[in-house]
Amino acid sequence: MELTTPGVATLRRDLDQATRDAETADVALAASGDGRAFERLYRSHVARIHSLAQRMTGEDHADDLTQDVFVRAWSKLSTFRGEAAFGTWLHRLAVNVILARRTTLGTERGRYDDSENVLDGVASRPHTAELSLDFEAAIERLPDGARQVFVLHDIEGYRHEEIADLLGIVPGTSKSQLHHARMALRRHLE
Amino acid sequence: MSDTWTNRLSEYLDGELPESERATLEAHLRACADCRATLEQLRRVVARAQALDDTPPTTDLWPAIARHVGVVSLDARRARRRLSFTVPQLAAAAVALTLLSAGSAWLLLRRPAGARPSQSTTTPSPILTNVGTYEANPRYAAAVASLERVLAQGRSRLDTATVRVIEKNLGIIDRAIRDAQSALAADPANSYLNLHLAQEMRRKLELLRQAAALAGART
Repeated sequence: MELTTPGVATLRRDLDQATRDAETADVALAASGDGRAFERLYRSHVARIHSLAQRMTGEDHADDLTQDVFVRAWSKLSTFRGEAAFGTWLHRLAVNVILARRTTLGTERGRYDDSENVLDGVASRPHTAELSLDFEAAIERLPDGARQVFVLHDIEGYRHEEIADLLGIVPGTSKSQLHHARMALRRHLE
Repeated sequence: MSDTWTNRLSEYLDGELPESERATLEAHLRACADCRATLEQLRRVVARAQALDDTPPTTDLWPAIARHVGVVSLDARRARRRLSFTVPQLAAAAVALTLLSAGSAWLLLRRPAGARPSQSTTTPSPILTNVGTYEANPRYAAAVASLERVLAQGRSRLDTATVRVIEKNLGIIDRAIRDAQSALAADPANSYLNLHLAQEMRRKLELLRQAAALAGART
C-alpha cells in the first residue's frame, strides 16, 4: 500500500506519541531509582541542556553546569508531577541551576556590563567560514546581561516578563539588553 | 547609524510596540533606508538564533553524573561484564560446560528406551539476571511489592470479575516483561527492546497502583 501524506503524518504522530510514552516510562522508572532509565533521559536531553549552559555561561563552565543540572534532576525527580513534558521541566530546572551559579560566574566575567563599548567589541565581522560557530562564539562574547537575555528570549523563547522574573530585573531592561545583543550580533550575519 | 527609532526596532520586530508608535515607526521606515536595513538584519539575527543546533558535550558526562547519583552507567556495566571473565575463569567455565554436557549425554543414554525427555512446564523459564533486571532494582521491586501487598489485602473488597481482569492484565504484562528481558539477554544494547521493557514495567506499576487504589477505596 502506498503511503499518502496523511499516512506519513499519522505515522510521525504515532512515533512522537511512542517517544513520549517511552520517556514517561523512563521518568517513572528513574523516579523509582532506575539508573538505566535516567541514563536514557540524560542521553535524550544532554545536548539541549549543555547548549543552554554553554550559551548562558560560556564553554568553560558548560560541562560542570550540565552535570549539576542532571544531578539535581535525579534528586528532584520525585517532585515531577507530569503536568508539563519532562523536557520542559528539566529545561526550567536547568535555567534555575545556571542562573543560581550566575553570581559566582558574574564576578569572574564582570556581569551586566552592557555598555556600548563592550558590545562593539563583539561586533567585529567574522573571518572564518563557519558562520554558525562564529555566531555561537559571538553570543559567548556578549556581556552577561545581554547574552542571558538574548539566549532566553531569542533561542529559548521566554517572554520578557519571565526573563525579568528570572534575572531580577524589570522587563524594560530585558528589552533593552535584547536589542543591544541583536545589534551586536547582526554584524555576524553574512 | 542611529536615529530616534533605531532602539525601538527590536520591540517593533517582536510586536511589542504600542499601536500608535507602531504606525509612526512604519511611516518612518518607508522614508529611512538605514532603519529598513537594520530591521532586516535584526530579523535575520532572530531567525539565526531560532535555527541554532544543540550540540552534545565533547566528552561523555554521564560517568561523572552516574557516580554522583550512585548508579552504574551502561557502558561501565558492559565493560565490567567484559572484564569479569578472565582467561582462567573462561577455562573453568569451559571445563564445567564440558562436564555438564557429558553428564547430560550420559543421563540421556541411560534413559530406558521409549522414555521421552520431559516437556517444558507451564512455569516460565528463569529470567536472566544480568540484563533487563528492572525487577532486581530495589526501589522498583519495593514499589511493586508494596502495591501487591495492598492489592492482596483489599482483594476481597473487589468483585470477582474485576479481580479476573486485573489478574489477566498483570499476566499479559508479566509475559511481555519476560519476553523483553529474554530478548535483551541476547541483545542488551537494543534501544527498542530497552524502551519496550521500560514501557511494560511502567504499565505494570500503573496497573498495580490503579488496582491498589481501587481495592483501598472499596471500604
